[in-house]
Amino acid sequence: MVDEEEIIRVAKLMKVDLEDHVEHVGRVKKMLEYFDILDQIDLSSEEITSQEKSLLDLRKDEFIPHDKLLIESLKNFREHYVRAPKMN
Amino acid sequence: MNLNTSILQYIEDVKSGSFTVEEFVTETLQRIKDVDEKVHAYISLNDSAINDSKLIDKKITSGENVGKCYGFPISIKDNICITGTKTTCASKILENFVAPYTATVVNRLNDEDVVITGKTNLDEFAMGLTTEFSAYGPTKNPWNLNYVPGGSSGGSAASVAANECLASLGSDTGGSVRNPASFCSVVGLKPTYGLISRYGLISYANSIEQIGPMTKTVKDSAFLLNVISGQDVNDDTTINNNNPDYLQNIENGIEGKKIGIIKEMTTSDGLSSEVSNATKEVIHDFESLGASCDEVSLPTIPYTVAAYYTITSTEAGSNLARYDNIRYGYEMESEGYEYNSYISKSRTKFGPEVTRRIILGGFVPSAGHAGKYFLKALKVKSKLISEINSSFEKFDYLIAPTAPVQPFQFGEKIDDPVTLMLLDYNTVTANLTGKPAISIPYRVSNGLPIGMQIMANTLEEKSLFQAAYALETKTKLPEVPL
Repeated sequence: MVDEEEIIRVAKLMKVDLEDHVEHVGRVKKMLEYFDILDQIDLSSEEITSQEKSLLDLRKDEFIPHDKLLIESLKNFREHYVRAPKMN
Repeated sequence: MNLNTSILQYIEDVKSGSFTVEEFVTETLQRIKDVDEKVHAYISLNDSAINDSKLIDKKITSGENVGKCYGFPISIKDNICITGTKTTCASKILENFVAPYTATVVNRLNDEDVVITGKTNLDEFAMGLTTEFSAYGPTKNPWNLNYVPGGSSGGSAASVAANECLASLGSDTGGSVRNPASFCSVVGLKPTYGLISRYGLISYANSIEQIGPMTKTVKDSAFLLNVISGQDVNDDTTINNNNPDYLQNIENGIEGKKIGIIKEMTTSDGLSSEVSNATKEVIHDFESLGASCDEVSLPTIPYTVAAYYTITSTEAGSNLARYDNIRYGYEMESEGYEYNSYISKSRTKFGPEVTRRIILGGFVPSAGHAGKYFLKALKVKSKLISEINSSFEKFDYLIAPTAPVQPFQFGEKIDDPVTLMLLDYNTVTANLTGKPAISIPYRVSNGLPIGMQIMANTLEEKSLFQAAYALETKTKLPEVPL
């Protein structure tokens, strides 16, 4: 059983302000309860597999010039820096 | 002028001088003006579409090299970037975001002279199956305006079905091209993972999503795949497909081919009687085309929806962290806020479904929960890949209805998250395994479409189109009543 307090704690960590948290928490809980179906499948002999690619096949790690400075299109860009709220 | 035409017929007509690009595009824009107030397929329109068509006409009349698309009108899902134009992802967070670069797929289309009509509606950040989660209001199904068009590429599907363009590009993370293609009676392809560059597609779940064409015919889908597929230096997940011509031999037929009817997808509890009947008919049609059909079981399928939502939420939680209103976002004064509270407050602009996926995306991979959810989901994915690879040793194709149900009315399922998730039941397998899958318009029952899905093995798109084309020749469907 998923603890609603735990969902609220994770929401905070994900920087989500739960204004209408009852609806969101309830629905997230329902979804997580559905995911319990994963407990019913035998995965004991399964390994996690992934696609591999040689480093040689990756794009060269080199600077590709762009026609403009992308940072300048940020709304909080101020001459040489990006303005952000203060940190405690 | 008949706007309900295929890309290939359009190109023949333009080449033979039946009409100019400008005439066809003007008529298309008039159609958008006439019907889109009702359908709401588009979020924004391309103001320079007429000028773009004039430039292509000029190339044609002056004998210059013309791209192979000859200016056919195409719409683009609004999560694919085009330099200098708004790309909203149907979210208030990106309401005023102007893309600083163009997606590879759009560059490839432009290199071959398309005319882009505009950007189409979707569920916010492509998370949904009905477009009801768009921050700009839902798209309506052109077959019946009281019904959902499917999602998340619902605007793209509706724009093609309503003759507001000849084709569209959507994106498919768990069925987002095929589901709306099925609901709106158009052809929708989710290609092999890596066949089409994702550069310029705003990320949702990178490890499984693909851009895919949505068209009126199977041949048009093959034509578009010829234009947009292939390796891209800007997307290292793209793979070398040796650039085959997907149109070549498309009429070869499927005589002697072996087709697996996926048991778990054709006998599930959620399957409606209309869709179940259509499935029986499609087996008969494939047999009459010379293929042999047998049931095949992939026992892991009942666990795929949970695995899919676990994996995609995890990736979405990470991808959406960038929308902190500092790098991207809208005007919101930062005075009086501490750093974290500012970000949390600004992120309340996300719609409800995206908010929930972000929370899920934090929960399922977190310390203490990863073993129960995320790591299991990855193992389900591995098990499913083994099962489907074994199936393709025996069968050339695997089939099932694209969606377990027909389109439904607005509001009918939005309050039940599990019912909504289960609409993906037949489509997520192709994403989790990276296999190509196509949805073909198959029936219209009680005025609403039913699509059939065909899956093939990795990079077997050519063979997939042959089966899809063969099935298409067996169907005769009514025109959209709009």
